[in-house]
Amino acid sequence: MKYKLIKAIDVAGLTFLTPVVRLCYGEEPKKQLQEIGRFIVVPLIAFAVFVGLWGAIAPRHKTKSGEVPTPLVVWDAASSIWRFHDREADKEDAYGLSGKTREQKLAIVEKRLSQLEPLETLANQHVKEANAARTTSVEELVGPILTQYEKLDAEFSAAQTEREAALKRDAGLLASADRAAREAYLQRVRDHAAKTEAEREQLKELKAEETAIRAEKFPQLVNALKAQTRIAEERQYLGKLSEQLGHGNRTLKLDEQMAQLRADQVTFLSAEGDAAFMLAQRIVRQEARIQKTSESTYAKPWTLPMQIYRSLACVFAGFLIGSAIAIPIGVLCGLSKTFMAAMTPFIALFKPVSPIVWLPIALIIVGGFIPDPDKHWLIDFLANLPLLGWMKINPAFIASAITVALCSLWATMTNTALGVASIDKDHLNVARVLRLGFKDRLFKIVIPSSLPLIFAGLRISLGVGWMVLIAAELLSSSEGIGKFVWDQFNNGASDSFAKMMVVVFVVGLIGLVLDRIMIVFQRLVSFDDAAAAI
Amino acid sequence: MAFIELDNVSLGFGPDGDRTEVLTDVCLEVEENEFVAVIGFSGSGKSTLIALLAGLLLPDSGEVRIHGKVQTEPGPDRGIMFQNYSLLPWLSVYGNIELAVKQVFPEMKTAERKQYIQRYIDMVNLTGAEWKKPHELSGGMRQRLSLARTLSMQPEVLLLDEPLSALDALTRSQLQDEITRIWEEDRRTVVMITNDVDEAVLMADRIVPLTPGPNATLGQSFEVTLERPRDRTTLNFNPDFKHLRNEVTEYMLDINREAKELRVADAIELPDIQPIDLTTPSGRMAS
Repeated sequence: MKYKLIKAIDVAGLTFLTPVVRLCYGEEPKKQLQEIGRFIVVPLIAFAVFVGLWGAIAPRHKTKSGEVPTPLVVWDAASSIWRFHDREADKEDAYGLSGKTREQKLAIVEKRLSQLEPLETLANQHVKEANAARTTSVEELVGPILTQYEKLDAEFSAAQTEREAALKRDAGLLASADRAAREAYLQRVRDHAAKTEAEREQLKELKAEETAIRAEKFPQLVNALKAQTRIAEERQYLGKLSEQLGHGNRTLKLDEQMAQLRADQVTFLSAEGDAAFMLAQRIVRQEARIQKTSESTYAKPWTLPMQIYRSLACVFAGFLIGSAIAIPIGVLCGLSKTFMAAMTPFIALFKPVSPIVWLPIALIIVGGFIPDPDKHWLIDFLANLPLLGWMKINPAFIASAITVALCSLWATMTNTALGVASIDKDHLNVARVLRLGFKDRLFKIVIPSSLPLIFAGLRISLGVGWMVLIAAELLSSSEGIGKFVWDQFNNGASDSFAKMMVVVFVVGLIGLVLDRIMIVFQRLVSFDDAAAAI
Repeated sequence: MAFIELDNVSLGFGPDGDRTEVLTDVCLEVEENEFVAVIGFSGSGKSTLIALLAGLLLPDSGEVRIHGKVQTEPGPDRGIMFQNYSLLPWLSVYGNIELAVKQVFPEMKTAERKQYIQRYIDMVNLTGAEWKKPHELSGGMRQRLSLARTLSMQPEVLLLDEPLSALDALTRSQLQDEITRIWEEDRRTVVMITNDVDEAVLMADRIVPLTPGPNATLGQSFEVTLERPRDRTTLNFNPDFKHLRNEVTEYMLDINREAKELRVADAIELPDIQPIDLTTPSGRMAS
């Protein structure tokens, strides 16, 4: 059991857990504790230090779009993203509910709404109080500054007028051709200008001090506003929810439309002439409307979890396209030096090209193949697939996937070529002695022997693809994590910055998991004891 | 007509100007069911010789004939057991043998094949290790697997390329006995390459020395007339065995000496100079 566990950990590339397992089995506790200290505690401390430094440094740096968010703010943003996703899912459910469950749910929602009312009044009251408290405290602080400002301002302008008058007076006394006197006069004017400038600076400083005090955060107000926003958000959500459960509900809408239809049908039986024609038309229209309503779903906005799902689908689509191109070409390159020579210029030329260049090209080409996405068979087909259909795969998605493929396939291709070319000569001799045909040689000897290197290449490719994808989505506006970042950047709400930081961690975490998965595959196909690099 | 004939076979490597002749005018005849050991120093072209027999290499001049037929490509009728096992590391013990069996006997039914493979696994005492990968096996077990794979092809000729040289002494003697036992049960023509005189005397019917390369060729052959089965424990006291062993060893040393003398004759004579330290003692201290 113990060795099986350790082996599984090793295959999964989570070797830092090995000492924990060994410790649980009581094996050399001192040594295991040392290992745990080094491989678990030290990284945790390092991360804690990082978070601490971040929290300490972030508030000092003010940008045009607000403060750099602290870890706490980012955490808040993450939970707000999750809450949004959760609530949208609720609304979607509510739209499809019918019968008793709908009524029960509606009752719960209304009850909660009525509970919220006093809370909201209270929150508003708090905000009002906080605002008042803030005003008094600010005025208290600002008052003396303002007094001083006014005093100085009056003093300075009086002094300036006086100086100017003196200068004007003395200008009349200047003797002609008295060079030295004129020089001295000029100097006096210069001094006057400098002094005026200095006084202006002084006033400006005072003004800045005042602005700073007015802009300073007032914790009481911040908290009150936060609570108020939270309640307002919930109330809005519950309002929408009750709408989805009430008159916006699909079943209710259908019932209403059906009733209308039945009434029309009854009148139609006795109608004559023009009226009959009109009614018939109405019935047909109503039937079509009912059909549409019964197929309709809640118009759910994109939430980050949905966008993550779509991004993952996109990266795997690109990865599959890339691998399907890279592996066969890589195998051919490895088998034939001539073919390799033919491919080398392409590999060398296209490998360094940035995704930013591939994307517009891919968009144009895909756009050429799919001029009208609403009526194209491919888009239609993809929209009806299970698990993928709801993602609304569009040309931008396809172009992003192609960009991922184009940027990521090179690592797989070169690694496959290397793997095939460096196959052990003895293994080929075995194939010769057995007189294996080309197909058998390829699938029984060449490919199995190069699998570890192929998978090493695939691992790099997936990592590159994930990096490229975010940029591609950002540019192509294909719904996904990249689009989320771009929307936040353009939207400029108070928590946009924090939400972008959330994405940093989400992207990093998913990249890490993808890499781990590829390591497991790599370990499973590698046949020697040499552990794959982590 | 002998079963295997090597007829004035020569083989060299390299371009015209910088050519190494590995084998020159090698002639060898092996009778059917004979066990021949080719013995030689390392680097004398032993592996090249076995590759020629297997058809992995083609001679520059001369012919390799089996059953009177000139050989032009390798095939499963000449089962070769490589020096470094050449097992496929991604296949299990069973899988390695299965690959060979499937290729050589494609008409065999699944159940029959399973039994057949198991028989060879049992034959080399690998029972229980069927699903292990080569890297989980010891050197001796790997070589046994290699032997089982080669035997499972039911070759007419068994070519053993220093099969035991990578093993420790104990495993080695154990495998020597096993190979001899299997060969005695199921006689067939064997050519074994070795660098161990004892091994050759113990196992073979005839010993053929290979002169040191380049331009290696086969020397005078020694018949081993010791009775089978040969028991290594009593053999050490057998005067015939001792005599033959000494004779072969002496011969090998002789040809090696000759070859060295020959080589010295056309070697460039190096100037006899000694480096002299010319630095002053103080200079040496400073540095």
